Amino acid sequence: MPEKTYLQALNEALRQEMERDEKVFIMGEDVGQFGGCFGVTQGLFEKFGEERVRDTPITESVIVGCAAGAAASGLRPVAELMFVDFIGVAMDQLFNQAAKMRFMFGGKATVPMTLRMPQGAGIGAAAQHSQSLEAWFMHIPGLKVVIPSTPYDAKGLLISAIRDDSPTVFLEHKMLYGVSGEVPDEAYAIELGKADVKREGSDVTIVATSLMVHTALAAAEKLKADGIEAEVVDPRCLNPLDKYTIIESIKKTNALVIAHEAVQYAGPGAEIAAMAAEEALDYLDAPIKRVGAPFCPVPFSPPLEKAYIPDADDIVAAVKSIR
Amino acid sequence: MSIAGILANPASGKDIRRLVAHGSVFDNQEKVRMTRRLILGMERGGVERIVYMPDAYGVVERALSAISPAIPVTPLETPMRNTQQDTTTAAEIMETLGVACMVVLGGDGTSRAACKGTVNVPILPLSTGTNNVFPFMGEATIAGLAAGVTASGKLPIEQCCVQVCMFDILRNQEVIDIALVDAAVYDDVFMASRAVWRLDKVPQLFLTRCRADSIGLSAIGGQLRSIRPEEPRGLALELGEPADASVTAAIAPGMFATVGVRGVKEMLPDEIHPIHTAPGMIAVDGEREVDIHRGDAMAIRLNTAGPKVVDVRRVMDLSRKRGLFVR
Amino acid sequence: MTPDKKTLVHMYETMNKIRMFEKKLQDFFAAGEIPGFVHLYLGEEAVATGACSALTDKDKITSTHRGHGHLLAKGGDLKLMMAEIFGRKTGYCLGKGGSMHIADLDLGILGANGIVGGGGPLATGAAFASKYSKADTVTVCFFGDGASNQGTTQESLNLASAWKLPLVFVNENNGYGISCPQCKSMAVTDIADRAAAYDMPGVVVDGNDVLAVFEAVSEAVKRARNGEGPSLIECKTYRWRGHFEGDACTYRCQEELDEWMGKDPIPRFEAKLVESGAVSKKEAAAIQDRIAKEIEEAVTFAKQSPFPDPSELLDNVYA
Repeated sequence: MPEKTYLQALNEALRQEMERDEKVFIMGEDVGQFGGCFGVTQGLFEKFGEERVRDTPITESVIVGCAAGAAASGLRPVAELMFVDFIGVAMDQLFNQAAKMRFMFGGKATVPMTLRMPQGAGIGAAAQHSQSLEAWFMHIPGLKVVIPSTPYDAKGLLISAIRDDSPTVFLEHKMLYGVSGEVPDEAYAIELGKADVKREGSDVTIVATSLMVHTALAAAEKLKADGIEAEVVDPRCLNPLDKYTIIESIKKTNALVIAHEAVQYAGPGAEIAAMAAEEALDYLDAPIKRVGAPFCPVPFSPPLEKAYIPDADDIVAAVKSIR
Repeated sequence: MSIAGILANPASGKDIRRLVAHGSVFDNQEKVRMTRRLILGMERGGVERIVYMPDAYGVVERALSAISPAIPVTPLETPMRNTQQDTTTAAEIMETLGVACMVVLGGDGTSRAACKGTVNVPILPLSTGTNNVFPFMGEATIAGLAAGVTASGKLPIEQCCVQVCMFDILRNQEVIDIALVDAAVYDDVFMASRAVWRLDKVPQLFLTRCRADSIGLSAIGGQLRSIRPEEPRGLALELGEPADASVTAAIAPGMFATVGVRGVKEMLPDEIHPIHTAPGMIAVDGEREVDIHRGDAMAIRLNTAGPKVVDVRRVMDLSRKRGLFVR
Repeated sequence: MTPDKKTLVHMYETMNKIRMFEKKLQDFFAAGEIPGFVHLYLGEEAVATGACSALTDKDKITSTHRGHGHLLAKGGDLKLMMAEIFGRKTGYCLGKGGSMHIADLDLGILGANGIVGGGGPLATGAAFASKYSKADTVTVCFFGDGASNQGTTQESLNLASAWKLPLVFVNENNGYGISCPQCKSMAVTDIADRAAAYDMPGVVVDGNDVLAVFEAVSEAVKRARNGEGPSLIECKTYRWRGHFEGDACTYRCQEELDEWMGKDPIPRFEAKLVESGAVSKKEAAAIQDRIAKEIEEAVTFAKQSPFPDPSELLDNVYA
């Protein structure tokens, strides 16, 4: 199977979906000839033209709202915000308009839009360009939240997100764009809401998302040296959440550690921990542990940023505190 | 003490001709800047006091926020209704205060509203749009200078002004309204967006003046005759088909119409020209305004006792001859 | 341009329908029979009626929190609307939306909206979809004077103009954003002035003259269909009631209300209609009677309809 980067996988998904369905179009800041801030839409402007790959003004509300209105009018927009941090500007259009339209209108509206947003720290982009905000979106009924960690997942999940009839928030991690992995050339869809076990193990379940999947895998290798076999479960979607796969893993390992880059307090791990406590407490023989960013904005200076982002040692320490 | 007046209409320059034709949006901020220049010109022209019509936007107050004229500039005490009536009432009050020259910022419609209030105060209409015939199209500073000189009494007033003709609109022999440039009979009862651009709805058109180089409804007559504003004659046109001649004219900015002309008749002062449509409306100076009810005897009459319009060029020529600005 | 007789009569029916519908809601709200809050359109009937009369069934609108008039003028069903406002299962949104969230996508109604300025971006999307699909449809975005200050509205005006979208922005300037008068919330008196900043035509019309609105919107729609881009039409009007039912209206005076009630768009239009011969006084009265009856039927339908079952709560969160 050919090796591709996460970025190439996303680009291929966009291209193939645009080839398949004329209703799919791309809009966002600098997505056209410029190819997108991180290069995800490279070459699409040349291939599909400016009608289908549309540069917008730097006005996030109308990017999100225009996508929602176009989706409700029969198109299948893929909108990009340059950084997830900019969603604050546009939040009303996402959570009050796009997310609620179908419910409010008694099921009469369909809003098949995908909103792609890069998130995460690691490039020294500081407090307003580095956050991980998935918990915001998880909290809104009506939104689906997709957060791929590998090139393979990125492609299959983006294709599913585009084909999905609900508004879908698609969270890419900037530090993953250059990561390579096997990706089939043909189009394929990964069902939204299906977790993937990235590493099998018997002693502890580590539920990790996005970049933290890779950190958790590194931690698992370290733990292996100490005789602890960790199972790494990547939910891939936070809404819908694949509770079944997580609980099945807990049944096997009887211990749960959750790792994400979002701020730990009221982060996505809180929901997963609560779910496990409510539905799988009997299978747990140790407290649930969470690994997340500390409760502060993302700092700029490299040593500070490094201290901010959870690393493999943090995960190892969390596991060792219960195993 | 010599007094000049300012009547600035914040509502002018926004009608449907921005949509049906290619008129410019004339925003109120531009009127404020013009008023500023106007006041500075008036002061330099030598007038001792300025009074103005207050309006909801505060055109003059905003103009004053950036300049400090040495002469008093004060609002009239008049109720604000945000309608055309404000302008008419303010002009009436200016006459009673002894205002020697009033500057009207607006178009044909605003000038008409002022002249409904008085035709005795010399008027300097300053255009804030692109679709006007009556007002002066020129720089506000110079208009202000001419108005200031005129109001200051340094020049003989009769040499500063030209008295122009206007129309009396008659209902059952009674004057109910006036028009300065044109009166168009409109074969529809609805005022709607007021402007007139569908000429198939206009069976009769009356003009106090016309020139080949003007814009608006009077341009139709302007392709057939030339009548100066002060000449004691007007033109009555019958429009529609079948017609002997068809005329192409610019009836709005960027908008041309070709219309059949079935009859052309010169109008003499005090002649009664009856209107043959009822019910309907009369558009005065381009705006549907006057109702024609069934059974009304409506007519148009040319009146030579129209407003005295300040001629900016003439005032400035006289100023030069008298060396008003030379030491 | 004056519409044909059929359209004129339809306008008259529509304005009366909105008037009577809203009055009915006013009574029921006072009697405690309607949950939540309602924002009545009384006094502004000419705007929705004039604007929607310039549209075809395929054209689209986005509406506001004061949306009943827009929805009725775009062809919304009286019974389904009434039932929705009463919170019944038979309503437009199965009782999930209520007064502020009624939509009928089949009629091109992309929804009322509870957020001031919420509709603008959605309208750009609807208009973009028309352009993208080469459909000959136009979108009208209704928005108030309050919404005109929202960033979303400015962003939408900008995008619509930059992309030359087939979109008509119809501003309903009723002078107040909730309790705040326009003079305190913006430095301009004419919202149409803002059109110049986006290089589109801006026009002010008398929002209490249904034909003034109709003419201006018709011309803007024509422009939009010709691919010439968006327009902004400001309709000066007034709401007779407070921002919401129950609003004590301490921020405005009776004299102002009286003055505007004197400019009631319905009798004004009726007098002209009768004069033009489009309807006789007798026919006008018959139209009013018929509409009153339709509204009674809608009320009966709503009141006799069941409430939604709690088992339906989770339906339609997702497609």
